[in-house]
Amino acid sequence: MRLAVVGKGGTGKSVICGTLARVLARRGHRVLALDVDTMPGLALSLGLALDAADDAGLPEDLGERHEERGWVLKEGVDVAELVARHAIPAPDGVRFLQLGKLPGRVKPGSTTAFRAVLEEFRAEGWTLVADLAAGTRQPFFGWSDFAEVVLIIVEPTAKAMLSARRLAKLANERKTDEGETRQPSLVGFVANKLSSEKDLQRIERALAGRLLPLLAELPYDEQLAAAERLGRAPIDVAPDAPAVVAIRELVARLEQRTATKGIHEGHEVHED
Amino acid sequence: MKIAVIGKGGVGKTMTTGTIARLMARQGLDVIALDCDSNPNLGLSLGLSVEETERLAAVRQALDAEEVEHAPSAPEILGRFGAWAPDRVRLAVVTKIDHFNPGCP
Repeated sequence: MRLAVVGKGGTGKSVICGTLARVLARRGHRVLALDVDTMPGLALSLGLALDAADDAGLPEDLGERHEERGWVLKEGVDVAELVARHAIPAPDGVRFLQLGKLPGRVKPGSTTAFRAVLEEFRAEGWTLVADLAAGTRQPFFGWSDFAEVVLIIVEPTAKAMLSARRLAKLANERKTDEGETRQPSLVGFVANKLSSEKDLQRIERALAGRLLPLLAELPYDEQLAAAERLGRAPIDVAPDAPAVVAIRELVARLEQRTATKGIHEGHEVHED
Repeated sequence: MKIAVIGKGGVGKTMTTGTIARLMARQGLDVIALDCDSNPNLGLSLGLSVEETERLAAVRQALDAEEVEHAPSAPEILGRFGAWAPDRVRLAVVTKIDHFNPGCP
């Protein structure tokens, strides 16, 4: 499964993404979690320390600029080897790579080169989970090309619903845009921070007509919010919190819809 | 006075900006509010409708799609890419939308 998470800033992309990665790993997936947000936050939601993100980048010199193809990995650089060497281990055997810009450490070459090869990485038996940058700028212009599943996170605020509608429009437009980019097989909404039935209705009303399924309804969850305040992974500090339970159900649903299972031969699950 | 508002997604940049703009306008200042976000929502926090906020985004997108020429001066930018918000705040959407800049993650 290759999954990208998009949405307005603050809707809960990173925390959902990090929890999805951990749940998938516990179900036997070999998970590579990618933070391609310019404001790194996925590390915390995965259960790593914040400074772990500093060590989770790719070296600048692995990419080179090709006249016609743009940034590519240098010849002889193997993606699987790259992940083995540079992705850092997170709990439950998740491997983590930080590809967004870090303050003072801009790595356009290696990052763009890696984006270009993400597509080919599908053959390696990995489950990819990527936390994309906030807003509408980045997701459908390169960074989500690898994804077969795109989750649009939306909370019941006017701004988040407007952003979700724009993202859905971009996703729907891509369906008719043949040849340009690979179309994900599943694009859907995940409603987050629902406090009442009214919140859900508000979201359903705002997104009606976008022709995309609502894949999960996550409740507003004080335990999740508390984990966020502490900078801890909810699955570690509040494994039975209602939102975490709902994310588990979402994973099961995604496995079903994409007909993937987490049992990979020869996969070693690291017990942390 | 020129104020820029920055911060991580979801912390309240747009809401703070919109409220500052409205309060300053009520103090009698001529306020120009610029939405520099590629996912422009400032209209909502200034008190404009979803429809008007989307209309401004669409006007700007027509420029990015090279369907129209760019405005040649600052007042014309405020005219063509702008709208009046309550308290006579002039809002303009001044960034490219839905545009992928190669090399930028």
